[in-house]
Amino acid sequence: MDLSDTKKAIESIIFISDQPVTVDKLTLAFPDIDRSQIRKCLKELVSDWEELNRGFFLAEIAGGFQFRTDPKHSEDISNYNKKIKKFRLSRAALEVIAIIAYKQPVTRVEIESIRGVDSSGVINVLLERRVIEIKGRKEVIGKPFLYGTTTEFMEIFGLKSLNDLPTLKELDEISQNLEPSITPIADE
Amino acid sequence: MTDLNKEPEQIQNPEPCLVKVQLFEGPLDLLLHLIKKNEVDIYDIPIAKITEQYIEYLELMKVLNLQFAGEYLVIAAELSLVKSKMLLPKPVMEEEEEDPRAELVRRLIEYQIYKDAATDLIGKDVLGRDVFKREYIETSAEHGEEVELVPVDLWALIEAFREFYQRRSYLWAEEITYEAESVTIDEKIEYVLELLKTKQQFKFEELFNDCSSRLDLVITFLALLELARTDNVDVVQDSPDSPILIAYSGENQIGSF
Repeated sequence: MDLSDTKKAIESIIFISDQPVTVDKLTLAFPDIDRSQIRKCLKELVSDWEELNRGFFLAEIAGGFQFRTDPKHSEDISNYNKKIKKFRLSRAALEVIAIIAYKQPVTRVEIESIRGVDSSGVINVLLERRVIEIKGRKEVIGKPFLYGTTTEFMEIFGLKSLNDLPTLKELDEISQNLEPSITPIADE
Repeated sequence: MTDLNKEPEQIQNPEPCLVKVQLFEGPLDLLLHLIKKNEVDIYDIPIAKITEQYIEYLELMKVLNLQFAGEYLVIAAELSLVKSKMLLPKPVMEEEEEDPRAELVRRLIEYQIYKDAATDLIGKDVLGRDVFKREYIETSAEHGEEVELVPVDLWALIEAFREFYQRRSYLWAEEITYEAESVTIDEKIEYVLELLKTKQQFKFEELFNDCSSRLDLVITFLALLELARTDNVDVVQDSPDSPILIAYSGENQIGSF
């Protein structure tokens, strides 16, 4: 099989997959083909689809590759397919996800001390939805669970890897946002 | 005490309710709101004024008959403590004393950092809202005959169970149960066979739907292993990534236990 055929084969595997297809899995499917060749195919496929400028594109997600639709068409897609589960998360859930994503592995108590409120309900909902998972236990009294994010988390937010998370705002930036836009009202 | 931070999902309602939009996610959220509303410097919070407004807000919640969490009172107490420290004349110390507000400010800023991070995340192209991918289409159940099913080996089965067990483990994180009556493997075997009579085939995970405790889960799994060993059930899947299925093997050995 020459490389252009391999490329097409890889493309079709990604096309039928409901999960991001990783280089590791592809090397299992093509034992005779060099890993670097597979990577080359993938790289070419990504740029091919980008150049074609079609209704969907090949995205690098959670360490793998996945066809995704252009965000431009989200409304049309939801109108067409009413059965599609709409993505919904409460603000509290998002806060917990953000804390876990950046501080993982992290315990419930650590999450709650940042948010200032009980978060066990939210954590259970996120576990159920598989956005987060238990990564282990912390070696402290009571051995609390340590939580971290899942591959599904990266899929939901379209991240290549955890390094792809947006950088946290710096302290200065935060206090600037909080700073008064006009002169503070004299107090006391 | 029930709280107003309670997740809508937690009340076993999959649809988030919109009523709570204007409410605060917690005491720190409320404090940040007050600081922004008053347009004051976070490093120089007019503590008396903010405390007063904070308590007013709690009063309002009471009037509106909204229940609020104990955490709100904890912060109210903290605010009062900081306020009183600010009022006390500073003893002459050699070392510079830390601003009594410093700890609170540190917490507020840290919380704000993650609130912003949450906003950044949801601002991305979110799957199921902005972008879509291929949906998993279940074919094996409907077209069982067309698909070549492969038997699952013992280790794959144990691995599946281990994963499932871990995923469920939060359910009994704080579980303290008294097992008044324990389930036996025989009972579970009958239960599984009963399930197969009506369904013929079901997913591995469905097997544990009724399990309420760790012990229950393990015994159910042992029952499955026994059934597989005696060839009463087939444990199969379409491909190494697809869900494991439990199917009636067709060999009528039911009742040999």
